[in-house]
Amino acid sequence: MRKRWLAAVLLVSVAAGCGRGDGGGGDTAQAVKDGKATGEITVWAMGTEGEKLAEFAKAFTAENPEAKVSVTAVPWDSAQQKISSAIAAKQTPDVSMIGTTMQGEIAKTGALDATPTELFRKDAFFPGAWDTTVVDGTPYGIPWYVETRGIYYRKDLAAKAGFPDGPKTWDDLTAMAKALQQKAGAKWGISLQPGKTGSWQSILPFGWSNGASLNTGDKYTFDTPQMAEALAYYQSFFTQKLSPDNLPQGALEPAFVRGEIPMFMSGPWHVGILNEQGAKDKFGIAPMPAKQSSTSFIGGSNLAVFKDAKNRDAAWKFLAWLSKPDVQVKWYQAVNDLPAVQSAWDDPALTADPLLKVFGTQLESAKSPPTFPTWTQLAATFDVEAEKVCVAGADPAAALKAVQSQADSLGTGS
Amino acid sequence: MTRDRLAKISLYGILSAGLLVVVGPFVWMLLSSFKPEAEIRSVPPTWWPSTWTFDNYRTLFDRLDFPQYFTNSVIVAVLVTVGNLLFCSLLGYALAKLDFPGRKALFLTVLGMLMVPGMVTFVPQFVLVSNLGLANSYAGLVLPFLAGPFGVFLMRQFLLAIPDDLIEAARIDGAGEWRIFWRVVLPLCKPALATLGILTFLSSWNNFLWPLVVATTDDKYTLPVALALYSIGQNRMYFGLLLAGAVVVVIPVLIVFLALQKHFMRGIATTGLK
Amino acid sequence: MTALLEAPPAVKRAEPRKHRRKMIGWAFAAPFTALFLIFGLLPVVASLVMSVTDMRATDLRTPLAVNFVGLDNYTRLFSDDLFVRSAINTLIFVVVGVPLTIVAALAAANALNSGLIRFRALFRVGFYLPVVTSIVAIAVIWRFLLDPQAGLVDNLLARIGVDGPAWLQDTRTSLGSLTVMAAWRNFGSLMVIFLAALQGIPQDLYEASRLDGAGRWQQFRRITIPLMRPALLFGAVITGIGYLQLFEEPLVMTQGGPLSSTLSVSYHIYNQFGFGNYGYAAAASYVLFVAIVALSVLQFRLLGQRDD
Repeated sequence: MRKRWLAAVLLVSVAAGCGRGDGGGGDTAQAVKDGKATGEITVWAMGTEGEKLAEFAKAFTAENPEAKVSVTAVPWDSAQQKISSAIAAKQTPDVSMIGTTMQGEIAKTGALDATPTELFRKDAFFPGAWDTTVVDGTPYGIPWYVETRGIYYRKDLAAKAGFPDGPKTWDDLTAMAKALQQKAGAKWGISLQPGKTGSWQSILPFGWSNGASLNTGDKYTFDTPQMAEALAYYQSFFTQKLSPDNLPQGALEPAFVRGEIPMFMSGPWHVGILNEQGAKDKFGIAPMPAKQSSTSFIGGSNLAVFKDAKNRDAAWKFLAWLSKPDVQVKWYQAVNDLPAVQSAWDDPALTADPLLKVFGTQLESAKSPPTFPTWTQLAATFDVEAEKVCVAGADPAAALKAVQSQADSLGTGS
Repeated sequence: MTRDRLAKISLYGILSAGLLVVVGPFVWMLLSSFKPEAEIRSVPPTWWPSTWTFDNYRTLFDRLDFPQYFTNSVIVAVLVTVGNLLFCSLLGYALAKLDFPGRKALFLTVLGMLMVPGMVTFVPQFVLVSNLGLANSYAGLVLPFLAGPFGVFLMRQFLLAIPDDLIEAARIDGAGEWRIFWRVVLPLCKPALATLGILTFLSSWNNFLWPLVVATTDDKYTLPVALALYSIGQNRMYFGLLLAGAVVVVIPVLIVFLALQKHFMRGIATTGLK
Repeated sequence: MTALLEAPPAVKRAEPRKHRRKMIGWAFAAPFTALFLIFGLLPVVASLVMSVTDMRATDLRTPLAVNFVGLDNYTRLFSDDLFVRSAINTLIFVVVGVPLTIVAALAAANALNSGLIRFRALFRVGFYLPVVTSIVAIAVIWRFLLDPQAGLVDNLLARIGVDGPAWLQDTRTSLGSLTVMAAWRNFGSLMVIFLAALQGIPQDLYEASRLDGAGRWQQFRRITIPLMRPALLFGAVITGIGYLQLFEEPLVMTQGGPLSSTLSVSYHIYNQFGFGNYGYAAAASYVLFVAIVALSVLQFRLLGQRDD
């Protein structure tokens, strides 16, 4: 009896509630009260950030003695699951770190608080990073740290191959990979990600550098000549056997140190890994090779405040503190996260490092995919299709058509 | 004679080879957890660590609030196990030995639940637990797992095989139903209880997704959640930490299993599972 | 019930006692049933309702403001290339994996039962070890074993002059590798069940056939297999139900790749939940549920023959 009654109630309420409102997007920001932060601020953060933020936040509580910051570390792999379950159950913390690519989907639930504009200046941040917080024209949260992609290469082998400063253009990249293989005696010319999870982050920069755009207004545009040309170019590294297509996880770095893979595309975290593995000072980093432009991908993480936050004002004050340029520099020194605030890059701590400078320059123009709620799903489709192109030799234009038709049937979700 | 001996030797040979294939990887895991990061990834791989190091364990224990997560895991696994033993044997007894209206329907519903893929109820379950105000509490971690359909199935099958005479005899002696259950039935169920206990403890101990979501602050994390947190970075993996973490998760269940394995095997032999 | 019908005179006197019995039955059933209704059945009903709506993660704050779409999600499933692909993969996995697991378990159980007493407990515990180990640990181990560079398997193959493949990165070997791994992980639990069944076979049957001049193989075929049939069927079906829900292996080993060659139905569902397509994912779950029920009905049909 009981179950029938419940089922009936659920069915009736579903039927009665047909159609949906606007959800998130288009909120107006509310002001944050002046004064010092007080009370407990609960924060979720992933990875190293989750581990180190609690200690770091002590400087904030020193300035705001009546506030307390409680950080809970969340595993990266399951972050989205945890956050969306929390939203469903209204069990959110005050603040959460949010990967830039999850932003659209999470903001669209209406669970995030619109960024109070009097506390944050849009032009203080890298424009590509700020864009990742904006959903339906309203910013939800702020960029915390950023990352972007460049080309890592072994200096000694690059010199042998005749490209001591790395590649400058698409033609250079192909020529250099060939020369590394033939003249410098490396097993491979370069390692590019052969499709699979996250490979869109490597492929899209080639598209953007070729003038492609992923959306016009509120419609996805994967199927463009510019993107097709970029994907075909990307594929050429696999068809010409310049890049391996079945490298297991963790095999890249040792092969780079041994000189078997003399070049690869990756983000700033690889500097630390390579230094640890004994390649310190042996490698250089070049910006994305240019076609029409040299445009990379901007990733990283945002910080957002939830509408259900118990301590909203203090939460925003904490975020304001985290985005102060000097705090951003200190955070970089603590965990190597690149500052999302542009002026932080003028600090000697960052200007002193020539490798960082490459990323710094790249960040000024780097782009991010649109913050549509369906983006994560389309990114996965893109990865699957890209794998067919790289590994199985599928036609790039047909692959993009497949992604586009999926995009058309899903819509943007907004 | 010699032929028999030959057969015996080759049998031992085959079994030992099988054991090597099954247990070898675990030995390798244990040994490798004492290797430095670079040696773990070395080509060709080594069996015996050329340098012994406790760094992986040290880092693991330094970065984890280990006693807290361990305690949480133990509390949750023990409560879930005890609850299942009690509730499943109660219902199993009722289904096998007592007649009451709706018995068959209840059994079929419980059995049907065995076949529902776990993922499907995940989100509604969490919304429910949160609305009951149980998020981030031990109750929230434990309650949804107290009524496991598998345990009911197991206990019912086992109890069906117990002769009614024993129960009737006790009833004639004037024992109350609760007393019969507690003094007559449960002691007979020891092997089945051991089997159910181990299986429940195992699945609770290894559960990942539920504690991940229910624990909103890390003082309620269990071991598997904590390990996922620290061993897998966003852009890189720490193989040494992973291996050490795997050893730390496996050892406690191994001890529980070894301690109870005799009863466990007998339980399987005597339940309907054969 | 039948006992009561056979003794009509007792009915009247037994009436209050019968009522008491009913109460007692429910008293014993009540604690479990209460928990089960709230934490088991209620979420199942909710997700069933979800499967006929277009609910997405973006509706989480207003779960009642979704559209009723009837069976749309279900029909869409069968035109979803990835779902079809995952169904085929899962089927292959079940069809190959179940017999493989059973043969391994049967071989181990027979070897352990053939008069060999010493070290039996050791072997039994050893073979059971993977069953008690968490998938996280198993994944760590196997990723290393199958690594084409640093892995034990390919290094052993290299010693005998074979150039081993990149097991998990090659579409030709990825699903097969996972199948072997699943058999390795699960055969221990079947072995224990088979061992129990073997010990229930009376020894004199073997002796009688030995007197008739039957060899080991003939004994195995004529006595062991027929008498173990219920256990074998039970093993086949519980393994089948488990394997139909293949999820953890691809999740931790291959993420469904390469080229979706190890994408299983459960993993596809998990992904759809991840993408926030709650209604769609719930519908896919119920399709899987139907497949499992179909297999289980088969189990009860086949196991039912035991009572004949």
